[in-house]
Amino acid sequence: MTIAQEREDLLSELGGQNKATIGAVLGTGSIAKATERADGTMEATIRIPEDAMVWEPGVLIMPHGGILELTIINDDKNTHACLLPSNGDKQFIGLLNHSKGSATLELDGPGCYWYGSPAGNDEGRGLTAAIVVAGEVPPEAKLDRPAQPRP
Amino acid sequence: MTIEYVDAGKAFNHGNLSKLPHSAPDVTRGINYERILQARSESQNWITYYGDYDGKRHSLLDQVNAGNAKDLKVAWIFQASATGMIASTSTYAFEACPLVVDGIMFVTGWDGWLWALDAKTGEQLWRYKHAVPIDVTLCCANVNRGCAVANGKVYMVTQNAQLVALDATNGQKVWQKTIGDVRAGESASIAPLVIKDFLITGSAGGEYGVRGHIDAWDLETGEQRWRTYTVPKPGEPGSETWPDDGEAWQRGGGNHWVTGTYDPELNLYYAGTGNPAPDFDGEVRPGDNLYTDSVVALDVDSGEIKWHYQFTPHDLWDYDSTMEMTLFERDGKKLLAHFDKNGYMFVLDRTNGELQHVTPFVDRIDWGVITRDGKFMPRKYPDKEGEPCHFFPGPAGAKEWTHASYNPDHDLFYVPVADVGATATRRRREFKEGMPYWGAAVEVDIDNMAGSVSAFDSHGEEKWRYRLDNMPMAASTMSTAGNVVFAGTPAGEFLALHAETGEKLWSFQCGSGHHSSPSTYTVDGKQYIAVPVGWGGWLEGIVPGLSGQGHGAALIVFSL
Repeated sequence: MTIAQEREDLLSELGGQNKATIGAVLGTGSIAKATERADGTMEATIRIPEDAMVWEPGVLIMPHGGILELTIINDDKNTHACLLPSNGDKQFIGLLNHSKGSATLELDGPGCYWYGSPAGNDEGRGLTAAIVVAGEVPPEAKLDRPAQPRP
Repeated sequence: MTIEYVDAGKAFNHGNLSKLPHSAPDVTRGINYERILQARSESQNWITYYGDYDGKRHSLLDQVNAGNAKDLKVAWIFQASATGMIASTSTYAFEACPLVVDGIMFVTGWDGWLWALDAKTGEQLWRYKHAVPIDVTLCCANVNRGCAVANGKVYMVTQNAQLVALDATNGQKVWQKTIGDVRAGESASIAPLVIKDFLITGSAGGEYGVRGHIDAWDLETGEQRWRTYTVPKPGEPGSETWPDDGEAWQRGGGNHWVTGTYDPELNLYYAGTGNPAPDFDGEVRPGDNLYTDSVVALDVDSGEIKWHYQFTPHDLWDYDSTMEMTLFERDGKKLLAHFDKNGYMFVLDRTNGELQHVTPFVDRIDWGVITRDGKFMPRKYPDKEGEPCHFFPGPAGAKEWTHASYNPDHDLFYVPVADVGATATRRRREFKEGMPYWGAAVEVDIDNMAGSVSAFDSHGEEKWRYRLDNMPMAASTMSTAGNVVFAGTPAGEFLALHAETGEKLWSFQCGSGHHSSPSTYTVDGKQYIAVPVGWGGWLEGIVPGLSGQGHGAALIVFSL
């Protein structure tokens, strides 16, 4: 049985394609935070590195719900795609080898949303990542009761 | 050397990669309060959740009747399964009741889906997909029970407690309102009900120690008209039924997660409320715990509670009373019938809440007894920490949220009955916001299941029973003037039963279990019966013995 301190060593065994597993294990990637603009909208870049079959970052944090402007880069020498959550309909973009595009997303907060590359089994090989929206619901949507203890 | 990136452009709606026309006729423009008041009389349509404000789920259509139901065939199928990682990936269910307006069907799915379909051919006209977080708190899976239509719009709630108004011609969002706090464990699954120039919603999350509420929202702007909490604050009417020096009321539950019914003459909205929290540990909330497990009659303009009747005071078994309150008349009296999770049928005077009579409607009830005149006597309940207590009905109840229907010509209610027990072992836990707040370990019987579609007259006398093969019913029934009762089983059979005898007239194996509410309509003079099929939901509570039955997600429509 492994203890928590060995996590980084064990993750390095998992990292990369066709090592410990066939693909990358979901949820083991890097974490980054979107930048908030003066008008409250947010921006960030997600990227597929060469031969990694993962999204960088693996977890993107939005400080609150709202509009996110994404730059999407495929640095891989293979073709992928990206299907993202957004209120109204999912947003789709095809990503040829070495391509760059953008997406505008509207997401409620708080909550965790998954997105992926809907091509072949890209999603299973590792091209599945999360957008985590932090923050609270608007004050008027809160229950009329004193603040409650949280875990 | 730097190589320029290939321009991938800008991401676009995934629905553009389809044959969808992204438009539908403007059929809901003319739907208003006056039309909904007469909903049953325009029987070619199904324009509100129960088919009418009275909750009877009875259609006047009779083209499909007891004589020809055997000739029903599939007219079309609409398929839509989940893609990607979603909340309740393994347990989402298709629980909706389809609405139909002048040949256009509006039906909600799990995970923020709403589809507009050609009701004659099944062609998808447009779709709306709300982005729902995977980590939203859902006690009973990723589900939605339906939408509402009026004034050119379609309205639905989402699992992450949003209310959205869409343009009914193209599915574009007109406005959105946050109606609950997902961090508190609130969610939403109710089909909204349009009344006058507003609509009513309720919250879900009673298993997480929220404080239940019912809300009214302006149809055009989404502005909140009123909110009524179903658990009173200290000093408010009903607060004497909670500990006066404690915090229990703040986490008391009582959620309104199934659409209520409405009497326009009395101006009253009849809302069923859910279990108190924690579900099984009553020691932390001594008292009757109003207005949990009750019907509350609200003045629809103000939200004021005019009267209430509590079906299970101080609930210790998870016996929500959110299910339909069917409005009917007998001997000139305005009455309300309710089949409760606790196994008893209640008939009330709906002008004042006065009890008329109580009758058991399931074979096995041993948690306690309610006498004909309403005397409430609990006998078995999880009382001591760590001590298992088995009782009938289990926490899914003798009838879950799925609806009975009522044929006024025969004075018969057609009830989807579940006869399944459970063992609850009290395990106290400290309250923490957003975490399950049950107060027990619960194991629902995996075998020894029974169920039926049972017909009761309004006095509570059983007239016939169609028994299922060792399984409970877990889907709504629908009655028609063609003398037919439609009902789907957990094993996938969609049944047509004779309304007067219960004789099976026809069945079709839909390939997945039923946990939804069928509706019926006509297009170009031809009657159709529509049923969403997709097994899932709170299966570990309703029928764990069939939780491996297999998923599915299709809307199947039948005609002669």
